Amino acid sequence: MNGPDQFEERLQRQPLRPVPPAWRDEILGPARAAAGPRPVPFAARRRLSSMFATGLSALLWPHPKAWGGLAALWLLVLGLNFASREPARSEVARPAIPPSPQMRALLQQQEQLFAELIGPAEKPVADRPKPVAPQPHSQRREEFLNT
Amino acid sequence: MKTMPADFELERLYEDHAQALFAFLLNLTRDENDTRDLLQDVFVRLARHPGLLGSALDERAFLIRMAHNAAIDLMRRRGTRHKYQERFGTERSSPFAATADPDEAAFRAELSAALGELPPEKRAVVHLKLWEGLTFEQIAFSLDISPNTAASRYRYALDKLRGRLRPLYEEIK
Repeated sequence: MNGPDQFEERLQRQPLRPVPPAWRDEILGPARAAAGPRPVPFAARRRLSSMFATGLSALLWPHPKAWGGLAALWLLVLGLNFASREPARSEVARPAIPPSPQMRALLQQQEQLFAELIGPAEKPVADRPKPVAPQPHSQRREEFLNT
Repeated sequence: MKTMPADFELERLYEDHAQALFAFLLNLTRDENDTRDLLQDVFVRLARHPGLLGSALDERAFLIRMAHNAAIDLMRRRGTRHKYQERFGTERSSPFAATADPDEAAFRAELSAALGELPPEKRAVVHLKLWEGLTFEQIAFSLDISPNTAASRYRYALDKLRGRLRPLYEEIK
């Protein structure tokens, strides 16, 4: 195609409207908001971990043996604490174990010894049998038949 | 590949291309509100998808393509092509700057009206050729058409404008 003729040049010279200045914030504001929070780049994360390690080193380095001893002491305390801890009681849930024959014999012996020491147990008055005078067998049968 | 565009990168894109995108969209839509919404849509997409411009050889042509696609989407959302032409073709907002010279003002008003009478796809080609100075290859990329189609649309549109504006042009030449 040939170069622009006079008519095209005339059209090209017409200036276009500029963007309203207020639009800048109206357009870039939502765009910035849409971008959202940016993830921390790997280099920055590495820098953070390096700073942490450097700080820790600066804290511990002057007396490494003292810090090591303190750590060992804490470990010892924790170990003792775990070792001395009683196992949880679970007798309620656990079924009762029947005593062995030896145990049963021992218990019987203890009961006998206990009975000898305190004497025979007296029954309460209500449970005692009424004193009955001895009667001949024939008389007792007649009484039974009469009732 | 480029990373997430920082604020300064978005501002740089705005400084470099907002004026061109604004004029193109305003000529296409003839509506300031639509133009602002579409321009905002383009920049929000740039912020959300930082890799969009990563493979672009021609930043301006790529952004015009984004703006044109956004305008086409708006047209589809609003309904049929006929409605789009009715709405986008009517003379409402002129894409040209105001002037105190009455002859120039009359010519710009007539030119704006004549552009508004063109179908949007031809108006887009004329705008990109005359006021953006793009080649037909760049226009073809921006509008997703072939260079031959871009050239033929331009010739057709220019003939229409010439016929419409000839009396006034001859008068004030």
